[in-house]
Amino acid sequence: MSLVSFNFLLFILAVVVLYYVCPVKFRKYVLIPANIAFCCFAGVYTLAFVMLSVITTFAGGLIAGRRSSSPAARRAAAVITIVFNFGLLCAVKFYGVMGLVSDSLNTLLGASSGSWLEFAVPLGMSFYTLQLIGYVLDCLWEKIEPEKNFIKYFLFGSYFPYLTSGPMNRYSDLSEEICRDHHLAAENFRNGTIRICWGFFKKLVIAERAGVIVNAVYGDHNIYTGWYVLLGVTAFAIQLYADFSGCMDVVIGVSKLLDINMPENFNSPYFARSIREYWRRWHITLGDYLADYLYYPLLKSALFVKIGDASKKAFGKKKGKKVPIYLAMVILWTAIGYWHGGVWKYIIGSGLLHCFYIVSGMMCEPIFEKIRPVLKSDKLPYQIFQVVRTFVLVLLGFVFFRAANVPDAIDMLKAIFMASAGEAAIDLTMANHIVLIASVLVLAAVDLFKFRPKDTDEPRSVITLTEGHPVFTWVIIVVLIAAVLVFGMYGLGYNASSFIYATI
Amino acid sequence: MTREEIYAKLNEVFQDVFDDEDITVNDETTADDIEDWDSLEHINLIVAVERAFGIKFTMGETTSMKNVGAMADIIQERVG
Repeated sequence: MSLVSFNFLLFILAVVVLYYVCPVKFRKYVLIPANIAFCCFAGVYTLAFVMLSVITTFAGGLIAGRRSSSPAARRAAAVITIVFNFGLLCAVKFYGVMGLVSDSLNTLLGASSGSWLEFAVPLGMSFYTLQLIGYVLDCLWEKIEPEKNFIKYFLFGSYFPYLTSGPMNRYSDLSEEICRDHHLAAENFRNGTIRICWGFFKKLVIAERAGVIVNAVYGDHNIYTGWYVLLGVTAFAIQLYADFSGCMDVVIGVSKLLDINMPENFNSPYFARSIREYWRRWHITLGDYLADYLYYPLLKSALFVKIGDASKKAFGKKKGKKVPIYLAMVILWTAIGYWHGGVWKYIIGSGLLHCFYIVSGMMCEPIFEKIRPVLKSDKLPYQIFQVVRTFVLVLLGFVFFRAANVPDAIDMLKAIFMASAGEAAIDLTMANHIVLIASVLVLAAVDLFKFRPKDTDEPRSVITLTEGHPVFTWVIIVVLIAAVLVFGMYGLGYNASSFIYATI
Repeated sequence: MTREEIYAKLNEVFQDVFDDEDITVNDETTADDIEDWDSLEHINLIVAVERAFGIKFTMGETTSMKNVGAMADIIQERVG
């Protein structure tokens, strides 16, 4: 059952009806059978994986967070829980011990065999495991009291909308949100529905269509040169963003129907003016997680404090204090790259290349400080240049990320500078090109509307566009549904991915 | 240690870490108020505060302090 499928919508309808038929106090408990049923649709192995993860992290959190126990015992409990859960994840991710889990999650994500989404399957589970490990660490670091009520923890650990692809939540935020009283409100229905429809639009009208170009260019990159490579590379950036953020829209929208608020995961990332800003706007919850659970603990460790002292002596205070930061960055970004798949194309494309951008930017900051007034950096033309430059740097990383391997990525980058060829091989009609361009323009306009220059400011949501105008909201919902049905070019009941390969 | 003494010392630490002698902090000061106080510099600041007061912040405290007032509360609790 794909998150973007008719079956999923039926499932949601059933859950929502049962949810609101129950008295307020018992509504959250409807999520227990709903979560179990969702896992069962994916297969019994998925349910086993989720149950094992929930039970072990619940127990691990209880021991790691027991203030009366010795620090050594608490640390040991946390380490054992973390190693066990990472082991379980690695078994699924790298060795296919539970291949059925992967297959069933493939079904949930709507990915067909051989599509680029294959790599997202372990990612979904990686985020899930990371989130539960975050809970154990929060208990160990006394950030929260360990949860003693297993049902309450199970509701957090198995919450079905985010099971496959996030966003990542902290226990302290989401558990409270799930367990509070939830009330039936027309506003939640409107806001949830428009968000779900927007997600379907992004996934089915944009991502799946852009995917045709991506699969053609990356699938046989030798026959494409010049603009056509650039088109394929840009199409992948659009596909990935529309797909991932569209999925988040569905997750956030479904939660809204249940009167549960989820954190935003994207904030107009392609309008970022620097790579650092880009990472504060793209997959926000992962960035926050890694800062809290990897980057800060690393920098605060005795070893890094010692390195900082030594480097201050060697290079002076101002430059020396940056050395541990650079070192932690290299470790952090290598880990991010490795996490995406453990091969060099990911380590470079989503790891070390971005590390290089950020670290070299920090090292050159004194030069930038001097030239900024000359370049009139506070004026719009320079800011537009910064947005375009950041997008190009991001595209460069995506080439490595999406190509079959590093040599292919380098070949493709070289091919961009050759005379253009390969038009005939992209099997997308002119009408589909026009639909793609028009829908991408709509997406860009909405992102521009949401955009706030300061990345820490709350973005305006799609919902804000129609807030306070119920009739207008429903008109937009009808327009989005019509657009998905007409331009998605598929019949109800079709799987999103199989549709794309079969009919376009 | 009085609140005033804590803030006198905190001002010195902030001025030293961010290389700006004009910085003065209060209960309401947040990372938004000091230009160089970003996620990359945060730990340098935390380690410098720990050394100045001879205390240790837990990881939970390190990542969840909402403003300098919260930091001063923890310091006051630890140093008495």
